[in-house]
Amino acid sequence: MAGIATAAILFIVTVGLSLIFGTMRIINLAHGTFYMVGAYLATVTFGAVASRTLGFSLTLLFAAVIVAALGILVEVFILRRLYGSEHLLQLLATWAVMLILEQLVIMIWGPQNYTSSLPSGLAGGVEVGAQQFPAYDLFLIAVAVVIAVVLWVVLERTRFGRFIRAAVQDMELIRVLGVNVTKLYTQVFAVGIFLAALGGALMGPSTSVGPGIDMNIVVEAFIVSVIGGLGNIWGAAVGALIIGLFQSIGNLVIPELASLAPYVVMILVLVIRPQGLFGKVEG
Amino acid sequence: MKADETTAMTNVQNRVPRPAGEKTLGVARWGWLFIFLAFVSAPFWLSVNNTLMAEGIIVVALFAWATNFLVHYGGLTTFGQAVFYGTGAYTIGLFSVHTKVPFMVAFVLGPFAAAAVALVVGALSLRARAFYFALLTLGFSQLFYSLTLVFYGFTKGDTGIFGIQLPQFLNSPLWSYEFILGVAALGALALWSIIRTPFGLSMMAIRDNRTRAESLGINTYSHLLFAFVISGFFCGLAGALFIVYQQHAYPEMLNWQSSGTPILISILGGISSFAGPLVGAVIYTLLENLVGSVTTYWQLILGLVVLAIVVLYPGGIVGGVRHFLRTGAVKTPEGEKRKTGA
Repeated sequence: MAGIATAAILFIVTVGLSLIFGTMRIINLAHGTFYMVGAYLATVTFGAVASRTLGFSLTLLFAAVIVAALGILVEVFILRRLYGSEHLLQLLATWAVMLILEQLVIMIWGPQNYTSSLPSGLAGGVEVGAQQFPAYDLFLIAVAVVIAVVLWVVLERTRFGRFIRAAVQDMELIRVLGVNVTKLYTQVFAVGIFLAALGGALMGPSTSVGPGIDMNIVVEAFIVSVIGGLGNIWGAAVGALIIGLFQSIGNLVIPELASLAPYVVMILVLVIRPQGLFGKVEG
Repeated sequence: MKADETTAMTNVQNRVPRPAGEKTLGVARWGWLFIFLAFVSAPFWLSVNNTLMAEGIIVVALFAWATNFLVHYGGLTTFGQAVFYGTGAYTIGLFSVHTKVPFMVAFVLGPFAAAAVALVVGALSLRARAFYFALLTLGFSQLFYSLTLVFYGFTKGDTGIFGIQLPQFLNSPLWSYEFILGVAALGALALWSIIRTPFGLSMMAIRDNRTRAESLGINTYSHLLFAFVISGFFCGLAGALFIVYQQHAYPEMLNWQSSGTPILISILGGISSFAGPLVGAVIYTLLENLVGSVTTYWQLILGLVVLAIVVLYPGGIVGGVRHFLRTGAVKTPEGEKRKTGA
């Protein structure tokens, strides 16, 4: 169950990364850093306000919205200037954003770790059948499922979603058809960053939040998105489940080698299927 | 000279036709000779600390050259070169811990071990293309990084292997500096020459148009794999030189940030010119040392500098200076963004 809960957070973070990549063709190295900012913001504000489940949920949203706004600033003032240029330059720009944000986080919140406690409604365990599960794990899984459903509805049933799917298929074409691509990019980037920050905010209460948490998550998110196929949302879900399960099984069977599991899985998948499980072949 | 020849061969970048020929070629050649002599004589006019810094610059520059060989000339965005850099360093470290093999033998074996690892990593990674290739190499970087942490009995874990004994003749600061310089210069010269061989030309043809290169009968996979191994070899050489410089092999040499650093340095200096990685290494090291000595915000400053370069001068510092010399304009026009870079 812990494996599935980890997978839930990984899914939320990766789906944001995948949306951004699929639509904008940018590998966002700063994704984990937005996650980290979300985690800090949420953890710091929990202590102040969130003793009840509702207040807790609102702080999660609050943190994610603030970070999404930060994401919009980054997109408008930096990334937008680079859409015509090489992928390598875009990659480097997101790396620079990562370096800057990381340093700012340390300047604002210092080098120490923060912990927060869960609201009483989510702290205990829940009986499911004969077994006892941590309520928060179930909450995480529920949030991930809700996000998956909402994303599915948005992508399949709305105009915005249709544009995104079209952009994933063929960017040139939707530009020619008169879609405001600049606006679409800003929106997609904001949604992607919102999800990254939400993932961070959700992760906050179950571990301590400190410098360096961004590095682990960004690499894991890359691995998940590559396994599933870059830009593919269902691939992100499957990839997250695979990695989450392999990690928790690895922790039980061979704990000292568990940290290698994601890389080995990724290499195996890509060697057999170079475009990921559900990806299309890159030109 | 580098730029003229590259321009002629790869029909790249420069909008304004340059007066190619003997004169500029000669000037550039003298320029390189001057730079080389300045580096050779550095220990005599720099303080001991600054000489050590120059050593660091040389090692990083070779690492960046070897990486840029793949990134710019081979058109392969890789985030895995630190694996080979680390292999070069760890080969010496592991031999010194576990065997009595003389230092110089381990030093020579280092780049070959790196090339062997590159053969395996490259053979697997090159099955994937573009972004998948970049992220697969990143995965390898993290895999090897984790391996050095996990097998701490063999690799000494997160403290790494330090205090590696150098042979007698490398114990003098002057000679170890000149040794690093000499080996790195030979490495750079070798890379420069390889770019100009028929193999190097085919590699750039693959970068420019893979389908066309294939239909011309070039075996693209084996060419790129060979390029990957060459790059790995020289990354390993840089790693081996790092041991002469610091006598310390540590896990962070292998992670993805370490893989990305030579790319960052190349772009900082100017990815499409041969001088770029060297210029980038100088700027990067100076920034690290100067900013690092007055504030703890070095990472912030680095991020801002990189952003400024990427947004304003995508041709890097060399590109910006060249543009200034040619047109007298400080700002590069928007259109050039699309043409410069990898």
